[in-house]
Amino acid sequence: MQSNRLGWLLLAPTLLILAMFGVFPFIYVLFVSFHQWNPFAVNPEMAFNWAANYRRVVFDAQFIASLGVTAAFVFFAVVSELILGYALAQAFMKDFPGKAFFRTIHTLPLIMAPIIVGSVWKLMTTPSIGIIPHLLDNWFGYDLNIGQSAGAAFVLTVIMDIWHWTPLVTLSLIAALVSLPPDPFEQAQIDGAGRWQIFWHITLPMIRPAILATVFIRLMDALRTVDEVLMLTGGGPGSATRYVGVHIFKEVFPRTNYGYGSAISVVVLYVTIVVCWLLYVGLIAPRNKKG
Amino acid sequence: MAEVRIDKVSKQYGALQVMHGVSVDIADGEFVVLVGPSGCGKSTLLRMLAGLEKISGGDISIGGRVVNDVPPKERDIAMVFQSYALYPHKTVAENMGFPLKMAKRPKAEIDEKVGRAAAILDLTKYLDRFPKQLSGGQRQRVAMGRAIVRDPQVFLFDEPLSNLDAKLRVTMRVEIKELHQRLKTTTVYVTHDQIEAMTMADKIVVMRDGRVEQIGAPLDLYDTPQNVFVAGFIGSPAMNLIRGRIEQGAFVSEGGLRLPLPASSAVEGQEVIYGIRPEHIGIGDGGVTVDVVVVELTGSETQIFAKAGADLLNAAVKDRVSAAPGSRIGFRIDPAQAHLFDQKTERRL
Ligand SMILES: Nc1ncnc2c1ncn2[C@@H]1O[C@H](COP(=O)(O)OP(=O)(O)OP(=O)(O)O)[C@@H](O)[C@H]1O
Ligand SMILES: [Mg+2]
Repeated sequence: MQSNRLGWLLLAPTLLILAMFGVFPFIYVLFVSFHQWNPFAVNPEMAFNWAANYRRVVFDAQFIASLGVTAAFVFFAVVSELILGYALAQAFMKDFPGKAFFRTIHTLPLIMAPIIVGSVWKLMTTPSIGIIPHLLDNWFGYDLNIGQSAGAAFVLTVIMDIWHWTPLVTLSLIAALVSLPPDPFEQAQIDGAGRWQIFWHITLPMIRPAILATVFIRLMDALRTVDEVLMLTGGGPGSATRYVGVHIFKEVFPRTNYGYGSAISVVVLYVTIVVCWLLYVGLIAPRNKKG
Repeated sequence: MAEVRIDKVSKQYGALQVMHGVSVDIADGEFVVLVGPSGCGKSTLLRMLAGLEKISGGDISIGGRVVNDVPPKERDIAMVFQSYALYPHKTVAENMGFPLKMAKRPKAEIDEKVGRAAAILDLTKYLDRFPKQLSGGQRQRVAMGRAIVRDPQVFLFDEPLSNLDAKLRVTMRVEIKELHQRLKTTTVYVTHDQIEAMTMADKIVVMRDGRVEQIGAPLDLYDTPQNVFVAGFIGSPAMNLIRGRIEQGAFVSEGGLRLPLPASSAVEGQEVIYGIRPEHIGIGDGGVTVDVVVVELTGSETQIFAKAGADLLNAAVKDRVSAAPGSRIGFRIDPAQAHLFDQKTERRL
C-alpha cells in the first residue's frame, strides 16, 4: 500500500498536467458544444440547446465542403511527403561529400513555427513582391496569384506542408533504414531480385512499422492544420483552402461562436479517430495477426 | 553448371589486405571444400564469388565469363549465408520460394519444389511459421532449402550445417552429397568440420590469412601435406609435430627423443619438424617408451597423451587400452607414415 501511494504521488504532477491541459479542456469543449454561447452577442449567456449545434454541423454545407478539401489536402501532402521523404532518406543512406551538412540543413523547416512558415510563404508568394510569382512569370510566363486562383492556392498549401514536414518523414525513415540488417538485402540480390523487387518485397515490408507510425503522425497533424494556411491564404480564395482547422478557427474566433465551434471540433476529433482506426484495421492489425 | 576460376584474387578493406592473390580452379560439377582457421577469408572469398564484395585485384570467372563487374543477381548462384539471412517478414514457405518467385515461376511449380525441399529438410511442419519462431538449426535448414529449390550454376555454402545436432548433420551431409550427385552442380562449401571436408570434397582448399596453403584431394592432403600448417590442420586429432634435427640417420628431438626417419630429402644436421599422426602410432614394445599422462576413451577409439622425455605425443588407437596415467608403455612408430618438414620454411621435405 505504501509503495502504491508513493507511485500515485510520483505520478501526480503528470496526471495533474494531463488533466489541466488534456482532460479538462476536452470535457469543457464537450460541455460547451451542447450550448448556445456567443459571449459578444446580444444575449451572451450560455444556454443549453441539446444537440442543436451538432444538427447544424451536419447540415453545414461549408463544413462538409471543408472536409472534402481537407481530405484532398491531407492525401496529396502526406503521400508526397512519404515518397519524397523516402527518396531523401535513401539519398542520405549513401555517402557523398557534405552529407552531414545537407542532412542538418534539410531539417531546418522542422524547427520553424507554423505561423512563421505561413508568413514566409506568404511573402514569397505575394504577387509583385514575392520571388515565386516573379520567377514563374519570368521563366514560364505563368501568372501566379493565390488570391485569385483556387487551384494555385490549394497546390501552394500542399507544397508548403510538404516543405515543412518532409524532413520529419525523412528523419524517421532514415532511422528505420539504418537499423535494417544487411543480410536479407544481399540474399535478395542472390535470389535474383532487382532493385524494384527488393524495394517491394524486402525494404517496404521491413520498414513498414516506421512508415505507418509516420503516416499516423503526419495524418493527424495535417488534419488539424490551421495557422500556416490561415497565414498564407486565409482559407481562400472563396473556400478553396478552408480546411477543417481553418473552418473551426473562423467560426470560433472572428465570429465568437463558441458553442458551434466546439461541436465542430468534437466532430473533427471523431472523424480523425475513425480514419486512424480504419488505417489501423486495414494495415496493421492483419499483419500482427500473421506475425 | 559451370566451371569457376579464381585467378590471383586479392581483397583490401581500406589499408587492410585480407586476401593475397588467391587462385583456385574449380572444374564443372566439382565439389570444393574451403577450410581454414577462423578469419582466414573463407566467407570473404564466397562473397566475392557471389558478387557481394568487390574484388580489389585478379579475376573471377564463372562458366568462362569474367564476372568481376557482374552484379549478384546476374551470376545465377545460390548461397547459404553463415548468418542464414532469412527474410524476417516472410514465412518459411515464402522464404524458400522467394528465388523461384523472382524467377517468375508458376505458383504450382513453386509450391511443389518448396514442398519437396521441406520434406528433405524435415521442415514440412514449419512452412507457415516465421523465422523468429524457429530454432537456430531450423533456420539454417530454411536457408539451405532456399538454395536447393533452385537449379543454379554454382552453389555456395558457408558453414550450412554448423548449427545442427550431430545426427541431423550426418543426415544433411548425405542429402547434400546425394543432391550433388544428382544435379552435378559446381559447389563451393565452407566448413570447420573435418569429417564434412574429408567426406564431401572432390577437392579441399586449405586457406590461412588470405592465402591458399594447399589444394588437393582429401586423401592427398591427409597423406602428403605440403607444409606444417596443412599437416596440423587436416586430420583430427591433429598430427604430432616435434621440433628437432637429423642426427646419424635418425630424428632427434630437442628433448632428446630418437625416432626413425621416413624417406625424404632431409640431410644430416638439418633442423626439421617431425610429424606423425596419432592414428599412426601403435602400442607395443620396440619403439619409444613413454609415460602416460592422460587417457581419453571415446568408445570407438582411445587417445593416449604421453610424455617421452620433454616431448608430448598423442596416440589414437582402436582398441580399448587400460593404461593408467603415470604408467609406462611403448609407442611403435612406423617411419613410412611419418612426415618431415623444414623448420625454417615449414615446407615438406
Ligand atoms: N567489412 C570488413 N572490413 C574489414 N575487415 C573485414 C571485413 N569483413 C571481413 N573482414 C576481415 O577479413 C578477414 C576474413 O574474414 P572472413 O569473414 O572471410 O573469415 P572466415 O574465414 O569466414 O572466418 P570464420 O570461419 O570465422 O567464418 C577477417 O580477418 C575479417 O576481420
Ligand atoms: Mg565465415
